[in-house]
Amino acid sequence: MADLPAEAVIVDRGYRHFEGTRKGRRGAMGAVVRDGLRRVLGLRRKGRRKILPWTLITMMLISVAVLSALHYAANQVGVTDLVADELPHAREYFEFISRVALLFIAFATPELLVPDREQGVLAVYLSRPLRTIDYLAAKAMALGILFMAFLLIPQTVFHLLLGVFSPDGFTTYMLDSLDVLWQVPAASLVYFLGFASVALIIATLIPRVGFAAGIFLGVMIMFNGLAEFFVEVADFAGSEYGTLIAFESHPHLVRDWIFGVTSNDYALTRAGLEPWMALAAIIAISVLAVALAWNRYRRLS
Amino acid sequence: MTTGTSESAHAASFNPVTSLISTTNLTHAYGDVRALDDVTLEVPAGRIGLVGANGAGKTTLIRNLLGMLRPESGQMEVLGRPVSRESLEIRSLVGYMPEGNCLPLDQTAADFVGYAAELAGLPTDAARRRSSEILFLVGLHEERFRFLGDFSTGMFQRVKLAQAIVHDPEVAFLDEPASGLDPEGREHMLELIRRLGDFGISVVFSSHILTDIEETCDWVVMLDGGRIIRSGPIEDLGIAESLIVEVLGDAEPAARWMIERGATVKVTGATLDVRTSGQDAFTLVRDALVATNVGVRRLGQSAVTLEEAFIREAEAEDRDG
Repeated sequence: MADLPAEAVIVDRGYRHFEGTRKGRRGAMGAVVRDGLRRVLGLRRKGRRKILPWTLITMMLISVAVLSALHYAANQVGVTDLVADELPHAREYFEFISRVALLFIAFATPELLVPDREQGVLAVYLSRPLRTIDYLAAKAMALGILFMAFLLIPQTVFHLLLGVFSPDGFTTYMLDSLDVLWQVPAASLVYFLGFASVALIIATLIPRVGFAAGIFLGVMIMFNGLAEFFVEVADFAGSEYGTLIAFESHPHLVRDWIFGVTSNDYALTRAGLEPWMALAAIIAISVLAVALAWNRYRRLS
Repeated sequence: MTTGTSESAHAASFNPVTSLISTTNLTHAYGDVRALDDVTLEVPAGRIGLVGANGAGKTTLIRNLLGMLRPESGQMEVLGRPVSRESLEIRSLVGYMPEGNCLPLDQTAADFVGYAAELAGLPTDAARRRSSEILFLVGLHEERFRFLGDFSTGMFQRVKLAQAIVHDPEVAFLDEPASGLDPEGREHMLELIRRLGDFGISVVFSSHILTDIEETCDWVVMLDGGRIIRSGPIEDLGIAESLIVEVLGDAEPAARWMIERGATVKVTGATLDVRTSGQDAFTLVRDALVATNVGVRRLGQSAVTLEEAFIREAEAEDRDG
C-alpha cells in the first residue's frame, strides 16, 4: 500500500475534459424534443407548472374509465341496442377528447415556444449545432408526440376495454373493428394539424404564454360563431367560403369523413362545402404556420 | 463520457501559436449601418480581449464567427474551419455566453446547464455529470438545485458562463461577462476567465471596460465603429509603466542626457515623464541626475493604461481616415 501523507490535503477538483463522442445536430435535436416533453408536462419544474397538464391528463383518464364502465354496465344488463346506438365509440369519443385536446394545445404550443423567445434562451440554442429549422422541427416533434399520445392512449385503452367487455368476445370485437386501427390515428393527426397550426401562428406572434393561449381559444370559439354569419345572414356570391374561418370545426368534419359519417352539425356542411375543403384548409393553414414561424425565427436568430 | 484526463495534460496540448480566428474583409451591415467594415483579423489561441465602445461591433463579430449571422461579404475561419461551410461543427466546439438574459427562469441551474451540454451533443449521463462539475467550478455547487428565477445577477452571470463551458469547448466567446456585477462579483468572474486559459480553453472576451481586458487577456483586438484599429499582443500596445521625476531647477539637461541614451522623455515644467526600452529606468534617471547635477523633489511610477492606448489608437485611426 502506498504511503499516505501525514497531513490531510485539500485538493482542487480542477477541470476534467470531455473525451467522448459528440452527437452533433441529431443529439441537439433530441435534447430539444426531450426538454419540450418535460416542459409541457411540468416535469423538473415547480409544482404549479404541473397542475394544468396533469389535470387535463386526469380528465382524459377519468373519461375512459367512465365510458368503459357504462359499456360494461350496459352489457351486463343486456341492453345491446343501447351499446350499439347510444353509447359513445371511437368516433363519438373524439367529441369529448377533442375539447380537452383543444385546451391542451392552447397551453402547450405557447409553452414550448414563447419562454425560449422572451427569456433570450434562443441565443443559447442557436450557438449550439442546431439550425433554426432544426429547433422548430424539434419543438413540433415534441408537441406532436404529446398530442398524439394525448389522443391515442385514451382511445387505445378505451378500444381494448370495449373488446374486453364485448359480449361477442375480445377477438371477435377486435376483428369486427379493424377499421378503427387506421381511422383513429388518421383522425388524431388531422386534429393535431388543425389545432396546432393555428396555435403555432398565435404562439409565434404573441409574447406571453397566457395571452397566446387565451387568444387561441378565443379565435377557435369566436370564428366558429362568425362562420354562422356566412350561413345564416350573408347572401352574396361566394359567401359560403366564409365558413372556412371556422377553424375549430375543420378537424371534426374531416374526422366524420374518415369515419364515413355525414353530419350537418357544422357551418361548412350547411353552407354546402365538402369535407375535402376542410382538409385543404387545414393543410393550407399548416403550411402558412410553418412559413410564418420559420420566417420569424430566422429573423430573430 | 467524462474521463479523468488531467488538467495539465490538456493544457500541454494547448498551442498558443495555432490560429484561433481568421477573418478576411469581413463586412456586416444592418440596413445602412455598417456594424463590421472590412475586418481582416488573425488571432492566435489564448485569452483574447475584444475591446470597443458600445456599438463598436463586438457582438456582431462574435455572432458572425458563430455562424449566427451571415456577413454581407468576407471570409471567416474559427479553429481552422470555414464558418460558411462548417458552422454546425464549429458550434459543437465553441461556447457562447450572450450579453443579455439567456436563462429560463423556471429551471434549476443543474437542469439547464445539463441541458446546455446535451444541446452541444453530449450524452445525457455525461451532460449531467459535467453540469455538476462545472457548477462547482463557478462556485454554484450548493445552489445548483435552486430555480434560476431565484438567482441574483452575479449568480446569473456564473450560470451563463457555466452553460458556455459545460460541453468542454475549445474556445468560449464571452460577451460582456462582467456586465452588471458588483466589484467582488466582477473580480470572481475575471478570475474564472483567467482559469479557463489554464484549462486549455481559449477565451474571446468582449468588454467595453478596458481594465477587465487588461487584467485578463494576453491579446487584444480593438474595434471602433466596426473597424479593427489594432490587433496584437497586449504588451505591444505600449501599455507600460513610466517614471515621473520632479526635479529641483532646470529639467532640460537631464532630459537631453536621457534622450541621448535612447529614452523617451516628456518634459512638463520641472517634471519629466521617462520611458525606457530594455534598460532599467530607475538606473537611467539616477545616472542622469548625477551627471547633470540636478536635485530630485519627487520620484514615482505612472502606468499607461489600456484605456489610454485605446484612445491613442482611435485618434490615430481618425487622423489616418
